[in-house]
Amino acid sequence: MVKNYDAIVIGAGNGGLVAAARLAKEGKKTLLVERHNLPGGFATSFVRGRFEFEASLHELCGIGSITGKSPLLKIFQEVGAADKIEWVALDEAYRLITLDEKENCDYLMPLGKEAFINKLEEYDPGSSAVVTKIFDLIESIEKTLDFVSNIEDFKPSMIKEIFSEHTEFLKVANYSVDEVLKSVGASKKTRDILNGYWCYLGQPTDELNVIHYFTMLHSYIIDGAVIPKGRSHQISTALLEAFTENGGEAWFNTSVKKINIENGKATGVTLEDGTKINAKAVICNASPYNAYTKLIDENAIPEKLKKEVRAKTLGAKGFAVFLGLNRSADELGLNNHTYFIYPTNDNRKCYEMSKKLETNDVQATVCLNRAFDDCSPEGTSILYMTSIFAGDEWSKISVEDYHKTKFAFAEKMIDNFEKATGIAIRDYIEEIEISTPMTYARYTDAPAGTIYGYEATKEDGIVKRIVFDMIDKGIPGLYFAGGYTTRHMGYSPSYTTGDMAAKNALLSIKKEAK
Amino acid sequence: MSKKKFSVNGNLKDSLNTVKFLTERKQFINSAAAVLPKRTDDFGVNKVAKSLHPKEQKLIISRIEEHSNIAKSYYFKSEAAPLAYFKAGQYLTFRLEIGNSVVTRSYSIASSPASALNGEYQITVKRINDGFVSDYILDNWSVGDKVTAYAPEGNMTYNPLRDAKNIVAIAGGSGITPFLSLARAIDQGNEDCSLTLLYGCRTSDEILFKAELDSLSEKNEKINVIYVLSHSDEEGYEKGFVGADIIRKYAPEGNYSIFVCGPGGMYKFLEAELPKLEKERKYIRFEVFSSGKKTQEDAKEYSITVINRGNESVIKASSNETVLCAFERAGIEVPARCHTGECGFCRSKLVSGKVYIPEGEDRRRIADMQFNFIHPCCCYPESDLVIRIN
Repeated sequence: MVKNYDAIVIGAGNGGLVAAARLAKEGKKTLLVERHNLPGGFATSFVRGRFEFEASLHELCGIGSITGKSPLLKIFQEVGAADKIEWVALDEAYRLITLDEKENCDYLMPLGKEAFINKLEEYDPGSSAVVTKIFDLIESIEKTLDFVSNIEDFKPSMIKEIFSEHTEFLKVANYSVDEVLKSVGASKKTRDILNGYWCYLGQPTDELNVIHYFTMLHSYIIDGAVIPKGRSHQISTALLEAFTENGGEAWFNTSVKKINIENGKATGVTLEDGTKINAKAVICNASPYNAYTKLIDENAIPEKLKKEVRAKTLGAKGFAVFLGLNRSADELGLNNHTYFIYPTNDNRKCYEMSKKLETNDVQATVCLNRAFDDCSPEGTSILYMTSIFAGDEWSKISVEDYHKTKFAFAEKMIDNFEKATGIAIRDYIEEIEISTPMTYARYTDAPAGTIYGYEATKEDGIVKRIVFDMIDKGIPGLYFAGGYTTRHMGYSPSYTTGDMAAKNALLSIKKEAK
Repeated sequence: MSKKKFSVNGNLKDSLNTVKFLTERKQFINSAAAVLPKRTDDFGVNKVAKSLHPKEQKLIISRIEEHSNIAKSYYFKSEAAPLAYFKAGQYLTFRLEIGNSVVTRSYSIASSPASALNGEYQITVKRINDGFVSDYILDNWSVGDKVTAYAPEGNMTYNPLRDAKNIVAIAGGSGITPFLSLARAIDQGNEDCSLTLLYGCRTSDEILFKAELDSLSEKNEKINVIYVLSHSDEEGYEKGFVGADIIRKYAPEGNYSIFVCGPGGMYKFLEAELPKLEKERKYIRFEVFSSGKKTQEDAKEYSITVINRGNESVIKASSNETVLCAFERAGIEVPARCHTGECGFCRSKLVSGKVYIPEGEDRRRIADMQFNFIHPCCCYPESDLVIRIN
């Protein structure tokens, strides 16, 4: 059987959903195929007993609850999904605690630029001048990025404009977070506190590109963060609804076997059941890793792309513990929304330690009731803890040892949380679910259970990715969307790259029609 | 913005540093070999994920054991790949084609997790009134037959981070199987909890696996089995139904969790009895059951328009049977597993029409309710329906 579409989207993850919704909105005959029975990929939820757990989202940036700068909301509005989602604004950035008692580290940071600077001044008296300067730089970088992201069709002449108008950006663009913060004279304590978000990107700040991190600080701290009331599943389903309302067709429980490449160009896909789908554009929300090692004939892949896939490093592997507690957040003393608990403030050390089960003590934990208390029945609360593993330690675990290893690591995370916060939760666990790298591999086919796409290393940071993506687009007709692409992983970047992929596809469909 | 412009190592050095990234990036890519890395399926993580959750398992019936005319145990070997490992208390969902119907049914695994690693599963099927699939299995399955099962699923498993270390299991009839698996797992050292099994049957003739349970109870101090007979008064057995008094009598010292698996009548009785123990909700766990039927005097006929990958078909449905039943009768395959609304595998979009979901059986996500997605296994038609299954 052969079917023809304008565009086919492989995978209904965040990137695929936005791409599909955009293409349908623009009147393109679009087919979205998803191997699982649900949309969303990582952006989903699940029910256990009387609790509905968020599967992955901690806070969503790009909705701009403080400044109203909401690039994501704009996308959701344009594709017709925005009015289907109910947002709750957060007021807290994070509480940062380290397990190393000598560090005496327990800081609670708010969202909002002024509030953040003032709070930092309290913790580190005399810091406000330097921190204000840092925020100025953050805002200056944001202006450059806005300029770059508004470029619809890149021309080399634009590089000239960047060089003359965006000097601040250019001066720091190839430095790490640590290099820049040190050069501006930030104290160790200020750097420790400002670097709190490092685990959301999974890269130590001695290597992480400053533009990458500062963009993140802008979107969280300056613009504000939100959470959808119906969990991330509400966003995923809203995007799917918008897509089908605009005439898009979505097939679930449907796997792609092959991306067809003819004469060096992507021409469609072949499904597991043999159905051939021809399309003018193929948007791939499966990772490029899977696309190149599983879905595309090896001899159809240019040497350059093989090198690229080989050169990159897979990002952090995920582990999460989801707890439905039979006491309210007030009763337990769970006063904060986001807890970052690290073994030490030395995030390079944290990263190295996260390569082994025995030494990994990194966790980012959310009490959803602090976003909205009615997320769970009265007298109960929801707490979910996420850890990240660098390296591929979990590939050493056998089937026989799987459950034992899973419970042991979950127990360590619970113990660490209790130790760091002094809050007892162990006896109040009414429901518990644990997801491991194997769980992420099961549901999304993630290589080694990766949840962070490719590592944002010094050589493969987002600035380099963005610039090179403009120059070199890979296989014509094939557009990647999602966490492995130019903007690195995360909700907001995945939605954004989904939209970019769709726009690039639309542009090329238009050009070809002429 | 302050007048003093920002720099790290001086303006010129900084700008040069930025230009450098173009060459750095090229070097980074060019220095790699033009050989694709390890395939996704070859990572240990992906291999374990696949062996724990295979898409389906092709099984061969290797042995059938009769239990005095009331039930049969079926033993399976794998046709090719190793059997998927599981946690004691989980079930297997089988896919059967019976006449024009394509049905799925779940049976708790009676064998231990360790025996799966040795290549064997066991389930036990009891003859029940109006048991369409169970009767078919009992009358048709023979040694050597090939059958299809999906990966083990289910949440009634011992969780050391949530449950008390002592489990009081209440079993009724063939509801014994998940606890037989648990007892075997404890005995083999794969589960670190103790088990007090209160096994309710009508008469002693109906007790399944008595010899093995007695032996486990005798040799392993972590396992204690008590039989409770409702319809006969026999020496060496408790008399009546398993209720608060019997639980109190046999429960171990200290805290314990209650796990329940059995027929609907037992659940109704326990719903009234268990509150007397004043236990927190977290210590009481039921294996969810649903008959997929409701009795209503005037069953109404409706039609369902089913959309599957863009293709439409129209099938008949009855207000007394779940939407999933209507699919099964019409031979429309949906990825159903639990049949109780819990697992969500059969989640489908209700494009139009009205369905009835019995109280306590709606286990959908908040957004699924908002956007009218349903679990067909626990929905009954109340009008003509249009449903998109894929």
